Amino acid sequence: MSVSSVSAKSALVAPAVLLVLALGGVVWALPQGLPPWRSLAIVSAWAGTGLLVGSLVLMIRAPRLAGLFGGLDEQYRWHHRGGALAYVLLLVHPLALAVNAWSESPIRAWQVLAPWAQGWPVWLGWVGLVLLMAGLVTTFSVKLPYRRWRAFHYSLGAGVILGLVHVWALLGELGPLWVFLLLALAALGWRLGGVDLGIAAHPYRVRSVTPRAQRMIEAVLEPCGARMVVAPGQFVFAAFGNGPHFHGCGEFHPFTVSAIGADGSLGVGIKALGPCSQHIQALEPGVLVRLEGPFGRFLADRHSAPQLWIAGGIGITPFIASLRRERLVHPLTLIYLYRSTQDAAYLDELHALAAAEPLLELITQAAAGPPADLEAVLGAVSQVKERIAQLCGPVPLIDAARAALERLGLPAASIHFERFDFR
Amino acid sequence: MRKLFIFATLLFWLAVAGFWMLSVLAPDALDTPLPEAATTERQWSTADVARHHTADDCWMIIDGQVYDFSAYVPEHPSNPALFIPWCGKEATEAYLTKTRGRAHSPYADSLLLQYRIGVLR
Repeated sequence: MSVSSVSAKSALVAPAVLLVLALGGVVWALPQGLPPWRSLAIVSAWAGTGLLVGSLVLMIRAPRLAGLFGGLDEQYRWHHRGGALAYVLLLVHPLALAVNAWSESPIRAWQVLAPWAQGWPVWLGWVGLVLLMAGLVTTFSVKLPYRRWRAFHYSLGAGVILGLVHVWALLGELGPLWVFLLLALAALGWRLGGVDLGIAAHPYRVRSVTPRAQRMIEAVLEPCGARMVVAPGQFVFAAFGNGPHFHGCGEFHPFTVSAIGADGSLGVGIKALGPCSQHIQALEPGVLVRLEGPFGRFLADRHSAPQLWIAGGIGITPFIASLRRERLVHPLTLIYLYRSTQDAAYLDELHALAAAEPLLELITQAAAGPPADLEAVLGAVSQVKERIAQLCGPVPLIDAARAALERLGLPAASIHFERFDFR
Repeated sequence: MRKLFIFATLLFWLAVAGFWMLSVLAPDALDTPLPEAATTERQWSTADVARHHTADDCWMIIDGQVYDFSAYVPEHPSNPALFIPWCGKEATEAYLTKTRGRAHSPYADSLLLQYRIGVLR
């Protein structure tokens, strides 16, 4: 899921972490009196190492950290950018060393690159680089099944650690490298144990399961211990365990909260979008669930001005959570688009809510993809320019609605959106 | 970023392949004894070597050969504090084991040649 709006201050935290780590390494190892290409090799190596370690830190999934970095989506965006830039810089490192040796002879340049002409400290560097390469190949393979994708993604972490040991072995001492090594190990340990194995997760239990649409259920989860404080619009990562007739896939997947009960219970809407969420359609009461979160800032400014909400399919989930939980304080127009009535979750409930809430105007429409008359529908909304638009749904709908709203004169700062593209 | 990754990776392996091809095509200069080493085989005493014991003027004795590493000191990958104490000294054991039982690489062995200035008397 990605959310559009991030405060200016929070948006700077993640790049600042990357910059400090990259510059920290470069300043410590700043070459003096060395040939230019060798200097470039050293600077690119240390900047790349700092960025890689920063990228690992930005991989940690924790609500407070995500809040500090301006949201999980913003954090992950910089995790990707930092990792990709680090990779390019680390490719420059061996090539610059080879160019440096070129002044002596082409054979010497090749010897710098050929692992068999080098010792094990350099082999470690090569293995680390190849692991980064393999890990990134799979990172960019969007068609790879999630479980396999995640396993390959760990090779990136192994690549970083091998790279750090490579530097350690070459330096002959740990020096300030211990900061990088400690950060990398802590980040990997937290991610593996705390996040992926769910050691830090909140235990919940499935209280009820209700089919809400074709290939979509809503599960109500009750806390087994401390309850999470969740606001409408937020999402959680959930890993479903086993029940009498149900065996969970054990993976954490993000689900938007659809209901927030006064007793601490949470509803989550689960659409069959992949193998695991398809499997969860057979969920039954009593199953233990581990929850991480909450994350996200979507709908954070729902009380600040008249609202225009646009939902596409399963994108109705954050909106129903808000409508169930709170009375409206500003006029709200909710446009709900779905493929067919079989796919339209919460339709009857929304009509009932609209009948009981005078500030709520509900517009529903069946459409396969963004409707051709979307701009006309949006243009018919009263005082559209004064509203805050909140969009949640598939990417084509979000893009079409954003473009139409901007054409209608709504400032970009007043358009917030959430789409589903987590990896 | 996907395009950046593909472009950078392809360029990297092309460059590596280029270095290999050019090394194959290049004359086999490294196997030829250095003219200076062959013609001006000077002999040095341990006292001679001991006079060159600083980072700017750094000689060492390795396996009976005398090397002037003054130009190489800034290029050595490890912390200078580990390298410089061996300037002006017999450093064979340090070179062969890095003081911890780890040998230098074949690449490092080949680099030695260009810093050789004679033999121990």
